[in-house]
Amino acid sequence: MSAAGPRRRFPEGTTAGDLRAYMAPFVERLGYRFNDDEEFVAEVLEAEIEILDEAGDVYCPCRVRTGDPKEDVKIVCPCIPFYADQFAKLRKCWCGLFVRTDVEDGGELHGVIEVPEGPAEVPVALADEFPPGTLRTVRIGKREVALARVGDEFFALGNVCRHAFGPLGQGFLDGHAAICPWHGWRFDVRDGTTDHPGADVATYPVSVRDGYVFVTV
Amino acid sequence: MQIRLYALSTCPYCRMTKKFLDSASVEYEMTEVDKLDGAEKEAAIAEVRELSGGASFPVVVMGDEVIVGFNKKRIRELLDL
Ligand code: SF4
Ligand code: FES
Repeated sequence: MSAAGPRRRFPEGTTAGDLRAYMAPFVERLGYRFNDDEEFVAEVLEAEIEILDEAGDVYCPCRVRTGDPKEDVKIVCPCIPFYADQFAKLRKCWCGLFVRTDVEDGGELHGVIEVPEGPAEVPVALADEFPPGTLRTVRIGKREVALARVGDEFFALGNVCRHAFGPLGQGFLDGHAAICPWHGWRFDVRDGTTDHPGADVATYPVSVRDGYVFVTV
Repeated sequence: MQIRLYALSTCPYCRMTKKFLDSASVEYEMTEVDKLDGAEKEAAIAEVRELSGGASFPVVVMGDEVIVGFNKKRIRELLDL
């Protein structure tokens, strides 16, 4: 690695096809696919390669980098988790490279669609890949949510433990209790309650459709 | 009405917006923010943030109205097309 310039994430000579193959299995798990407008997809991926050559990573072609790595990491493509609530309502990502899997013709969705007010139903995981007994953190825009499966039921709750901010999604499941990985506080995944007074966490509605788990935020 | 387009050279909707304005034969001023350097670039980014509250492109300023993203319908309305 040279001292000058940022580290490059994909090797020299990476093609649009390579990026496509790399990104597809990831976005599929988030409930998205490449836009059906192939010419458009090719154009966006070419632009991303240009950016890769210049900046070392595939930053979003439609937004500017701030130079602050903590901020800029949120606009590395695919950026879906960081804007999952907004994109779920738009039914596509900002640039239109990706559209939700339940969109019929992504090519029709180009341009601005006003983000409707109100809650967003956000695809967060493939149900098949989330077996009973699983507890995991998922990112939905600015927030993190602990997603749990007990038997055939899914539950979503605030990810931050009210004791000392431990990440509940990285803890353990004991029946309907999510156990914080830091000091073992227990939260009922059904209603977010805990046996420590005044320390309950929020819960979110969860549904399963077309093989995807959706959390409404 | 004064029309100003803030764009990135890499952004597909920026190109579509440009094409659309060109096809409507209206006059506008375009700033390709990523093609600027140093202080000029920073100033342009600051303008975009100030106007749109973010840094997503394209941003079209038409008179008093700021349109973020490629919004054909709204541009049409404002141009009385
Ligand atoms: S908005 Fe779309 S193209 Fe831009 S970084 Fe996000 S996922 Fe990629
Ligand atoms: S931070 Fe969760 S138990 Fe202490």
